[in-house]
Amino acid sequence: MTTAPENRGGMRPTAPQNNPANVSGTGGAGQSGDYTGFAYGQNQTLNNSRVEGNAAVASVKATSAAPSGDPYAGINLSPIGTFMDPTNNPSEPITAGVDFGPGPGSEALPNMFKSDARQNENVQIAMSYLPDLSLAAQSPNAPDSYKRFVNYLIQNANGMPNG
Amino acid sequence: MDDVTFNPGSFFDNVDKFANSFGYQNAAIAIELAMISWPSPEERDSFIIGITGEDVKGGNEKNYIKRNF
Repeated sequence: MTTAPENRGGMRPTAPQNNPANVSGTGGAGQSGDYTGFAYGQNQTLNNSRVEGNAAVASVKATSAAPSGDPYAGINLSPIGTFMDPTNNPSEPITAGVDFGPGPGSEALPNMFKSDARQNENVQIAMSYLPDLSLAAQSPNAPDSYKRFVNYLIQNANGMPNG
Repeated sequence: MDDVTFNPGSFFDNVDKFANSFGYQNAAIAIELAMISWPSPEERDSFIIGITGEDVKGGNEKNYIKRNF
């Protein structure tokens, strides 16, 4: 006759006492939560104080009730879409604010959006890719428009203090 | 052996088309868009036309066959 593994004696890793989630929150005082093991008379005193303390904590209420429901209720926020979603403002061209395409150019942007960040970015790109771009410009098939662009990058890079 | 550097749809062809269509001041955007693996030069050109509302600029007759959409 064979005994099933779960019914055999000895150490079982799956036994309840080996489950860390079963550790008593009262520090091993047993399922009741009552203190035991102190000197005669002290257990009763400690348990009474615990019960009174729990009742006191339970009676405390927050001074203000937590807000219920949606904290943004009443605020009309348009859903955030993805890059490829249709525009939320169809009356404005998608190129408004940039210096190409329909709509106003960068002059229409608030001052906080105007900076030389794009110029710096252009210089960084130029410094990174200019060797390869210049090499391609020497190709016999390189169009004049491409050569003009590479010349622009070279002048742009040379025009910067650290270029 | 033919030089394929500026074949339609190649990286350098993309750079040429994006930079000249969007303007040299947008070089960073142009180069980053040129790195995208476009399904075809036609789709790339459609994207440019959709953004700028104008014909694609750049290239020349020698290496660029303009397509009708």
